[in-house]
Amino acid sequence: MMAMNYLGSFLLIILGLYMMVSKRNLIKIIIGLDLVDYGANLLIVSIGFRDGGTAPIFTLSELFSGAYFVDPVPQALTLTSIVIGACVTAMSLALIIKIKDQYGTIDSHKVRRLNG
Amino acid sequence: MNIVLIILKWLFHILVFPGFLFTLCAALLLAGIDRKLVARMQNRVGPPLLQPAYDLLKLFGKEIIIPRQANKKAFLSAPAVGLASLLVTSLLLPFSASFVAVSGVADVIVVLYLLTIPAVAIIVGAASSASPFAGVGLSREMVAVMAYELPLTIVLVTVCRKAGLMMDESGMTFSLATVMQYQAEHGAMITKLSMIPAALAMLFIIPCEVGAHPFDIAEAETEICEGTLAEYSGLPLAFYELAHYVKMFILTSLFCVLFLGGFTTGVVVVDLILRLIFCVVVTFLCITVPHAVCARFKVEQVFKFYWTWVLGLALVSLLLVWLGL
Amino acid sequence: MMQHFPILSIMVLFFGAFLNGIFGGKNAKARKIIVLASIFLSFLMVVAMTGPVMLEGQIISYWLGNWEPAMGFAFGIGLEVDAVGLFFGLIISTAVLVSGLYSFEYMSHDDALGYYYTLYLMLGGGVLGLVFSGCLFNIFVMVEIMTFSAVALTAFRNEKYGALEAAFKYLVVGSIGSTSVLVGTILLYNQTHTLNLAQIASILPSVSNGVTAVAFGFLFVGFATKAFLFPFQPLAADAHAVAPSSISVLISGVLTKTGVYGIIRLVYVLYQSMNLGPVKTLVVFIGTLSMFICVTMALAQHDFKRLLAFHSISQVGYVITAVGLSTALGVAGGLYHAMNHTLFKSLLFLTAGAVLHQTDTTNLDELGGLSKRMPKTTVLFLIGAASISGLPPFNGFASKWMIYQATFEAAAAQNNFGFALVGIIEMLTSVLTLASFIKVTQSVFFGQMPKKWENVKEVGNGMIIPMGILAALCVITGVAPSAVEKYLLAPATSAVYSVGKYINAMMGEGFAEGVSLSSETVAVDLGRSGYWNPLAWLALLGILLFGAFVAFVLLRKEAKTKESEAAEMFGSVDEKFEPFFSGERAEFSQVGGSDMFWGFKKVMRPYLDFMHDAHSGVVNDYVRWAVECLALVLLYCVLCGL
Repeated sequence: MMAMNYLGSFLLIILGLYMMVSKRNLIKIIIGLDLVDYGANLLIVSIGFRDGGTAPIFTLSELFSGAYFVDPVPQALTLTSIVIGACVTAMSLALIIKIKDQYGTIDSHKVRRLNG
Repeated sequence: MNIVLIILKWLFHILVFPGFLFTLCAALLLAGIDRKLVARMQNRVGPPLLQPAYDLLKLFGKEIIIPRQANKKAFLSAPAVGLASLLVTSLLLPFSASFVAVSGVADVIVVLYLLTIPAVAIIVGAASSASPFAGVGLSREMVAVMAYELPLTIVLVTVCRKAGLMMDESGMTFSLATVMQYQAEHGAMITKLSMIPAALAMLFIIPCEVGAHPFDIAEAETEICEGTLAEYSGLPLAFYELAHYVKMFILTSLFCVLFLGGFTTGVVVVDLILRLIFCVVVTFLCITVPHAVCARFKVEQVFKFYWTWVLGLALVSLLLVWLGL
Repeated sequence: MMQHFPILSIMVLFFGAFLNGIFGGKNAKARKIIVLASIFLSFLMVVAMTGPVMLEGQIISYWLGNWEPAMGFAFGIGLEVDAVGLFFGLIISTAVLVSGLYSFEYMSHDDALGYYYTLYLMLGGGVLGLVFSGCLFNIFVMVEIMTFSAVALTAFRNEKYGALEAAFKYLVVGSIGSTSVLVGTILLYNQTHTLNLAQIASILPSVSNGVTAVAFGFLFVGFATKAFLFPFQPLAADAHAVAPSSISVLISGVLTKTGVYGIIRLVYVLYQSMNLGPVKTLVVFIGTLSMFICVTMALAQHDFKRLLAFHSISQVGYVITAVGLSTALGVAGGLYHAMNHTLFKSLLFLTAGAVLHQTDTTNLDELGGLSKRMPKTTVLFLIGAASISGLPPFNGFASKWMIYQATFEAAAAQNNFGFALVGIIEMLTSVLTLASFIKVTQSVFFGQMPKKWENVKEVGNGMIIPMGILAALCVITGVAPSAVEKYLLAPATSAVYSVGKYINAMMGEGFAEGVSLSSETVAVDLGRSGYWNPLAWLALLGILLFGAFVAFVLLRKEAKTKESEAAEMFGSVDEKFEPFFSGERAEFSQVGGSDMFWGFKKVMRPYLDFMHDAHSGVVNDYVRWAVECLALVLLYCVLCGL
């Protein structure tokens, strides 16, 4: 069950990277970047998962010994990571708009003034 | 009392021996012998032995012309910096295992770097003169530096490793004094089979570093009108000429330290004369003979030559030494 | 009070960014006050920490919200400042300070400065937070903050040629680096169930399996991408070159250092794996590759800032190589060079900025002869160029000297011929560095001046003073290597090796002993490093230079009078003061950047062409480089079974 999760997350990462390498449209490159991010997020959540565990929401009085819940730390990390991913997407889309203005194209093979 | 003595000793080293005075005299003498020998090989009578000194004296009295577009400060101070760094180098070269004016844990690297400063000084001076000929000349000078620096590095590392294997527990020494010590105990480097390719490589490096005839691509008076020195006249030119002679002496001297170090007696005066004789021999081999025999190489030929043949020789030597031969 | 300084020095910058966002948008005065106050406060707090950390050997640790570890388990987020962290912190806050001072005049032509300073302060805060952080996830967050602000600042002058494109590439490839850090972090969390650096360091040596090896690979690639090392991030030059120069200083002098810091933490503290052959080989190989390839790339450039950018990768290659040797001398040399690189490369970028500010171009083929119009900038540039080329007595020489010695001694001690070759490549790189700066010297500052630069003026004091500070630091750290060693390098090097002490400072006394690590301060012996006696030599050089100077001052006067006399006698122009032109009337003829080193270029043409084509400028290709290198490193780590 968890093996599927790990496999899925790495598959997402690899597909995202493949997309970034092969697609020439800048927006598609950003979609690939997001896939990589989602893969990483899925990996984080899966690592914190425990079969049959409850949600890690307790107050101090409710907490009893032998409580069985999923690891809360990765979930916090995922949230941070999602936020950062959203910022990266927003910023890159903004850059793409400006690039379209200046270069008149969003084909990555034509956006190469700086080379060599 | 003690401090005064140390300062006096320092001043003596810097100003008289083996610094300023001695180096200048030896260099001028060496240059005179070189010119005489070239002349004899070409069936000419040749100038008197002291001709380089006369030339310099004449240059001292000439007018100094600073081109209008030149940066005056850089133009005038470059020759002085070049000469100064060469004189500092002369302090680092030991005359025998026991006598060295300045010694450090790793003076080989210092010598290597100090020897690039004169080239940099020439280049900066040439650049500041705003002459197109100097521009071409400095580009060529830098190509020459790139060409010889790689094999020179390998030769120095080879010698350091060879001496360090026996003399230092870490298996590597960077002290010229230790190199001399090794040769005093185990015989000169040149007598070791594995060091002969390195010595040959060094013999090829010296003329290029000095800018002697077949490798004088940067000055090439027939092509680019003395290149880097095109705008110089009078005293600054004299400084450059002097630096040229001093470089010749220091590099041949370095060769003696690296490869001919064993033949010392312990008496400073005898060592000195021996060193001078060796210097003349080395100069004859690597500067005079090519000068008399060869025509000037093209720029890319020089570069190719050093990065193939000379580099190969040096690498063979390094490999042999590393294998413990 | 002192234990609050780490968090305060970071918070001051972030808070400044916040305040600037509110008040600094339109009001230039408020902006200036906020920026100056925050960078100075932060700098002073970092400097104040040197006393206890560097001199007394303490480690300052701080738990946010006072969540101290309980039952041997770190819950809270911790900050930990040991000598390595502080060493990098000092470098960073110096660069941030100088860059901030320089910005005021340099950016005066631009608008939207409120955003500029907000991003600038966030960048500074992110970087400082990274090196003081004691928590792996926080390192990831700080990496993202700094990458983010750096990308935005790269695109700041978005009307400029290629700025947007460079920012986009930086964002995409930089995100791959950040994601690798994240994946590596989470894999480590899977194995150790903690994010605290100290606790991970105490657990990792006993847990060693395939997952930790893969995590090592991910983290290494992530930090190497942040250090802009060669095979991972070929676009570094684009980003450096188009950003405003005050930001190039931060990207090149500071961001790359965080990558170096990350790698040092990773290999020495977290994994304590530097005694392993494969790790050494990996680190030294990557370092040597960046060092050599990027210097040859730099030689072929036609743009001042782009050339400097390739050099910064090359110099970071030196640092990584030295660190990878895993000897005390190597680590000390690497740290020394990291510091020097920040000083001289910042100086060079600032001089490039001065040229850009006054002429509006950095194209080496268009410039020329500026030394007559910008004499102070020229002198400062020459100091920087001599430092980076390693000419004595400037600082580059002292640190390169240590690195060479470390390399060859490591080669001899382990009888490793490969390391000997690495040492030779280091020396060759140094010569090639010299060559490319000769090219800049000739084609920007010396040579003949094109007509259009006749009216160029020297930049104002607002720019000269920051550059002067850096130049003075270059000279001081060069002539007093023994003082630098005693107060900065020896404590930092010792801290790199004192893992047990690092763990104890964070997790409580006796924790390291529990996992059989010694908590002693490891003494490092740098005694064999080849320090010259710079004072004696300086005295000598001084004597000689003074003599020469006196002679020349007299002669210059003479020459001047002669020229004016000649001008009177022959009318306005005397031909003998024109450049020699083979007897023809002199015309404009500048040997520019592209004309130099013909013999070298001809012989190396196939190689240079290949490298030029490899840096194609297409973002897909750069992603492919990064992905392929990531895959190779991961494979290497798994196969070697770290």
